[in-house]
Amino acid sequence: MNRQNVDVAVIGSGPAGMAAAIRAKQSGAENVVVMERAEQMGGLLHQCVHNGFGLLYFNEDLTGPEYARRFMEKAMDVKVTPLLETMVTKISPEREITAISSKEGYITFTPKSIVLAMGCRERSRGALNIPGTRPAGILTAGTAQRFVNVEGFIPGKKIVILGSGDIGMIMARRLTLEGAEVVAVVEILPYIGGLIRNEVQCLHDFSIPLLLEHTITQIHGEKRIEAVNVARVDNNRDPIGGTERRIECDTLLLSVGLIPENELSSMAGVELDPITGGPIVGEMRQTNVPGIFAGGNVVHVHDLVDNVSWESELAGESAARFAMGAKWAEKGKIALKPGRNIRYIVPQTISGEREITLYLRVSDLEEGVRLKIGDIMSKALRVVKPSEMLKIELPMAQLRKLKQGATEIVVDCEKRGK
Amino acid sequence: MPEEKNITCIGCPMGCAVTLTIDDDRKVTSITGYKCKEGQKYALAEYKNPVRTLTATVLTQNSSQRLLAVRTTAPIPKTKLLPGIMALAEVRAKPPIKMGDVVISNLLDTGVDVVATSGLLF
Repeated sequence: MNRQNVDVAVIGSGPAGMAAAIRAKQSGAENVVVMERAEQMGGLLHQCVHNGFGLLYFNEDLTGPEYARRFMEKAMDVKVTPLLETMVTKISPEREITAISSKEGYITFTPKSIVLAMGCRERSRGALNIPGTRPAGILTAGTAQRFVNVEGFIPGKKIVILGSGDIGMIMARRLTLEGAEVVAVVEILPYIGGLIRNEVQCLHDFSIPLLLEHTITQIHGEKRIEAVNVARVDNNRDPIGGTERRIECDTLLLSVGLIPENELSSMAGVELDPITGGPIVGEMRQTNVPGIFAGGNVVHVHDLVDNVSWESELAGESAARFAMGAKWAEKGKIALKPGRNIRYIVPQTISGEREITLYLRVSDLEEGVRLKIGDIMSKALRVVKPSEMLKIELPMAQLRKLKQGATEIVVDCEKRGK
Repeated sequence: MPEEKNITCIGCPMGCAVTLTIDDDRKVTSITGYKCKEGQKYALAEYKNPVRTLTATVLTQNSSQRLLAVRTTAPIPKTKLLPGIMALAEVRAKPPIKMGDVVISNLLDTGVDVVATSGLLF
């Protein structure tokens, strides 16, 4: 294949990469390639055999493989070129891509534009500093998911799950259905880390004990994990002396957060946001490096795949336009600043010249609040939770209220009533 | 003796703890704890007929792939989830299988089929 005239190269073919590539093609880019290290497109969707995908995007309740299939077929229809079993090892600030392919060996080329769609990784034990021995039987929830749903092995029979992220709760149900006993889900915060529907349908449905405001203080076992110590925590999330108890188990799953995967972005000189862990992007998902765009979990960790697809379509469209010679859109001149109880906002900058969707998360759980987008828009919300991303549409009618020459909009989550 | 039943609403992140009071004739006499109409509606539906989509994997035979992902085409009664998974444990799927092919028809007389959600070429 001639790589002298690649218009758009998309790195990764999970939900973000597929959506970006399809949209790039639909937006007029001729030669769009998707680079994927696995044997097929689709990324992690293939191991997510549960339903709950596509409720917003397709208005249907699909499983992960079904959601993937729709995009894979569309990608083939519009003639996106997949480069499978191809692992990108480097991207330069001049957009030169270096990759290793099992068919072609070492390859290198410079596309007209790039979409970063590498997704995210799970936090592992090393990031948690749990004291104790280092036996076998401790794995991330996503690794367990691959074992159970793809490889066909159950990682253990008596399982403790640390963290109540969505993958952890989904694996609690999955392992219970496959005959294991999930003895506890341990969460350090006073509320779950995932979606409410997963708490009900994965934990309550199977009477799986959820220990809120608890953490693991010790791991026991020489060759294989034998037990963990669990303790209640105080308001500072420190274990309270005397509350420790031992829970026997043969497996510990970790579901303690996801981190955007940005080694390649950094090599390319893409500036990252220390809070999201992903590139700082403008409303068209442009990074600070001309011709490099980003979408999906590589930018910030989403709760729902539907939003990953939508966000990445924006990146795909921008990449196509850039490849066809559109002037590089400098980052927006208006910065969105997190104010009271706001952890982050994506995009970080906007132009103020087109309607946009803001994705944001709060720092703390709060009831009865009002979300204020500067003084141009406000929205009352019954409850906000760090684990549930907020999505706010900002139409032109509101953006026109911005003062001439405004350089920032502060977003606040204010307490209502008082 | 009236009985109380607690149901967590999944309509929004609020997750209202809704309490239903049920009299001796299994009739709902009161619903409390919800903060919007959706919560009331959900709790009543969830009490009367709790249903779930069952998703799982089945073993394959004569295939390079060990597992095939499957789902029920519609939600089934919650009480049928465990019996359903036991029925799926008996299945040995033979390729070729396309996404959407029926793996078990009329699972446990629910009137709902179990279909493949992925494919098995060989």
